[in-house]
Amino acid sequence: MDAPLALIVIMALVALATALGFMVRARTVRAAAGCGGDEYQLVVEGAEVTLVQLSSPVCSACVVMRRVATELVAADPTVAHREIDVVDEPDVARRHSVYSTPTTLVLDRDGHVRSRLIGAVKPADVSAAVEAARKELVHA
Amino acid sequence: MSAATPGDTAEKPVGIDPRGPRFGASITSVLLLIVVLLGLTEPLGGDLAARATQPAALLLTVLVALFAWGAFAGIQKHPYGALYRRLVAPRLAPPTEREHPAPPTFAQLVGLLVTATGLVLHLLGVPGALVVAASAAFVAAFLNAVFAYCLGCQLYVLLVRAGIIRSSTSRA
Repeated sequence: MDAPLALIVIMALVALATALGFMVRARTVRAAAGCGGDEYQLVVEGAEVTLVQLSSPVCSACVVMRRVATELVAADPTVAHREIDVVDEPDVARRHSVYSTPTTLVLDRDGHVRSRLIGAVKPADVSAAVEAARKELVHA
Repeated sequence: MSAATPGDTAEKPVGIDPRGPRFGASITSVLLLIVVLLGLTEPLGGDLAARATQPAALLLTVLVALFAWGAFAGIQKHPYGALYRRLVAPRLAPPTEREHPAPPTFAQLVGLLVTATGLVLHLLGVPGALVVAASAAFVAAFLNAVFAYCLGCQLYVLLVRAGIIRSSTSRA
């Protein structure tokens, strides 16, 4: 292969890797609808919204998410945060199809899983999910 | 154990600066891209000696050795890690979080397997093996360097969770 063609091939390789990176980013950090039913037993007593963070022992994004959640809880006492280690307690992760940590379940006061925050989600997106969970669930 | 307990291992400054392995991955990805470029422009050598002494094969051999260093000595002892701590880290703010060294060390092993397989097949005379292996390793290194997405680390976490490999984390 001559040099100009080889250069085009490696540029295509870089473009492919970049496209893959954006796809991975869109999948690893996102807010998704709740699935897998309710978790009454995980609701923190008295909290309007409980953030249940599922973490694993070796996970740097879990540390970032913990900090974001802790800051939110410090600013708003109606919100509670608790963390579950998926290795110690795999049942919760199994019930909610959690494949990556951190995944944070946003529970309303009745224990309905209103949304799942996947990855280290931005503080503004966490707040938006919390505000959405405060509203009464509209039954169709 | 609750990770929020004061005095817990997670609160102490254990672990490594996650930007260290990313710094290493950016050097590795540039070198792998050069391997791909050289591999594409050179014809496959006629005999083993010719294939082993091609610039692409020589550079890939260096990269295989560096992956082996990271995989067996641990990511903290990797030469890029020393370079990062001496030249780069002093110019940056202290890390806001730290990560466990086990996943990036495992990722070095994955990189070693991919590049060593490509190198061996190339030496055996398989056309395209060097370019394909270097391209695959490049994509993984690039995702780590640019997007902070470490494919090998994800694999490590999945394997630990599936119980296939044991986590080296000391768990109180």
